[in-house]
Amino acid sequence: MVNLNSVPPKHGRNFYLALGLEGSANKLGVGVVKHPVLAHHADSDLSHDCHAQILSNIRDTYITPPGEGFLPRDTARHHRNWVVRLARRALDAAGLRDPSELDVICFTRGPGMGAPLHSVAVFARTLSLLWRVPLVPVNHCVGHIEMGREITKAENPVVLYVSGGNTQVIAYSENRYRIFGETLDIAIGNCLDRFARTLRIPNEPSPGYNIEQLAKNAPHKDSLVELPYTVKGMDLSMSGILGYVDGLAKDLFSQNTKNKILFDPQTGEQKVTVEDLCYSLQENLFAMLVEITERAMAHVASNQVLIVGGVGCNVRLQEMMASMCRDRSNGQVHATDERFCIDNGVMIAQAGLLQYRMGNVVKDLAETVVTQKFRTDEVYVAWRD
Amino acid sequence: MSEAIVEQVKKYLTGSIPITPISQGAEAVVFTTEVHPYLPKADNQPSTKYIIKYRPPKQYRHPTIDKTLTKHRTLSESRILSKLSSLPGLNVPKLIACDVYNGCIWLEFLGENLPNGAGFSNLKNFLWMNSSDPYNKTVESTLFKVGEQIGLLHWNDYCHGDLTTSNVVLVRDGESWAPHLIDFGLGSSSTLVEDKGVDLYVLERAIVSTHSSFAEKYNKWIIEGFSSVYQSKGKKGNQKLKDVINRFQDVRLRGRKRSMIG
Repeated sequence: MVNLNSVPPKHGRNFYLALGLEGSANKLGVGVVKHPVLAHHADSDLSHDCHAQILSNIRDTYITPPGEGFLPRDTARHHRNWVVRLARRALDAAGLRDPSELDVICFTRGPGMGAPLHSVAVFARTLSLLWRVPLVPVNHCVGHIEMGREITKAENPVVLYVSGGNTQVIAYSENRYRIFGETLDIAIGNCLDRFARTLRIPNEPSPGYNIEQLAKNAPHKDSLVELPYTVKGMDLSMSGILGYVDGLAKDLFSQNTKNKILFDPQTGEQKVTVEDLCYSLQENLFAMLVEITERAMAHVASNQVLIVGGVGCNVRLQEMMASMCRDRSNGQVHATDERFCIDNGVMIAQAGLLQYRMGNVVKDLAETVVTQKFRTDEVYVAWRD
Repeated sequence: MSEAIVEQVKKYLTGSIPITPISQGAEAVVFTTEVHPYLPKADNQPSTKYIIKYRPPKQYRHPTIDKTLTKHRTLSESRILSKLSSLPGLNVPKLIACDVYNGCIWLEFLGENLPNGAGFSNLKNFLWMNSSDPYNKTVESTLFKVGEQIGLLHWNDYCHGDLTTSNVVLVRDGESWAPHLIDFGLGSSSTLVEDKGVDLYVLERAIVSTHSSFAEKYNKWIIEGFSSVYQSKGKKGNQKLKDVINRFQDVRLRGRKRSMIG
């Protein structure tokens, strides 16, 4: 049994307040979360049901022109420029007049891009010293998992974490979120983003969303363009698929009629459109994801799936996952919408507050150094049985 | 197991082949039957059981992807099985028939039920059955033979890909047990030391997680059996054994996964 009430809230209140700061990639997020103190949390395994109230959830995305990705230096500058304004807005929206009322300030320690992580960590340290509020460093992936669990109330799901920088299938066992399968090279979001760059489609609101919309309108859904299918046991690899589909797109733009996949060899007529390529890429990648998730479910004998991370708001992925679960007895899919799927400050506050309530705080600022490599299974999950 | 899938299989096999479902994995469902796919049933003979492994079409993926994958995987599993059964000393179930387009293979049925309701005779249940006397001679010799089987497999440059204690079936051989490796769905032909190291590590983890208090000795016996195969191959064998065992220890240190960069 876990005691989530071991650290009492400030000033004898009956609730906790946490500020979360997220900036591991091109999204800068600030959020405030409130947890009521509940008696049954003193000896329970209910970390997925904290009755969390989201007081504010503000996000700003650094958007680059079509055909360009975000570079660490520019992203870090964006975060530095905006973090004070966002934090102000978040505190105002939460109705917090006196910021020293906060129990804890949570920030992303990793994994992510070094420079953006660092600029947000500096901000977190400053606030902590200014307001005399303790700090908690949070693993970004654990943040996603805890937010997904709190929103969907999924107790012990197999987690598919798919975003721009990560692709992992995770299941909980003995105080760790263990990685059952993951990408061996690039992440799925990275694969989609880079394909969007090749197609020169806008990065607004997000490249993956635009690919999804294009795929919906694919004219030849019956004749799929065959792409490499690279599942390796529980792991997958995506760089080869990206290279292949990039090559096809380039042939399409240069009207290379020698390519028999894209053009009819007799008439030279175009058989495949950009939308078809998007559709085929999505179908292929998502089939791989669903397959390794199903493997993990069979392995740990679980029937719940939780999809988290930016790619998790893709409706087609959610549909495919639901279809897989229908073939398994009592299968259930849990997914959240873009407010919680895409990187945000609230999830960092949620995971950080759980850590804080188990008594895990920074005692020396040296512990707040950010790290680009920070695996999900390195975190000791004290708040679960 | 989902009813819909069972119905699907029954429709595919037609009513003349009665089936009993036994397990559902991520990729395939497994049934037993007493009908041979092409030999007539001999009268007065005790009935023989066969295994049907069926890969149902997955609704979630595009039909084109599904067809290619099912065909490819069924074919590769059948090929590996037929190659392995021609290797002297290696025990795998015999391949009876395969229909790659429908994702169906027929195999020889192996194993039996253990005495005193201890369940089916795979290595997992066998070790559970012996947990009151965990270090007896039969356990030691069986685990040694399991090691030998894996050694033979690896020596011939094949990898299993999913070595767990439930994928080792024990067949009674007089007083002792002959271990057979089953389920080559993730199997491959590989000369890489990495794949072999991972195979050994996966089995070690499986034993540690289900029989943790006796795992140390159990794993030692398996490795002894494994080594004996390589050592019997002279100087070259010893060199290769050293490579595999070193890599196995590396894999154990990093826990199968490499540290991710970027």
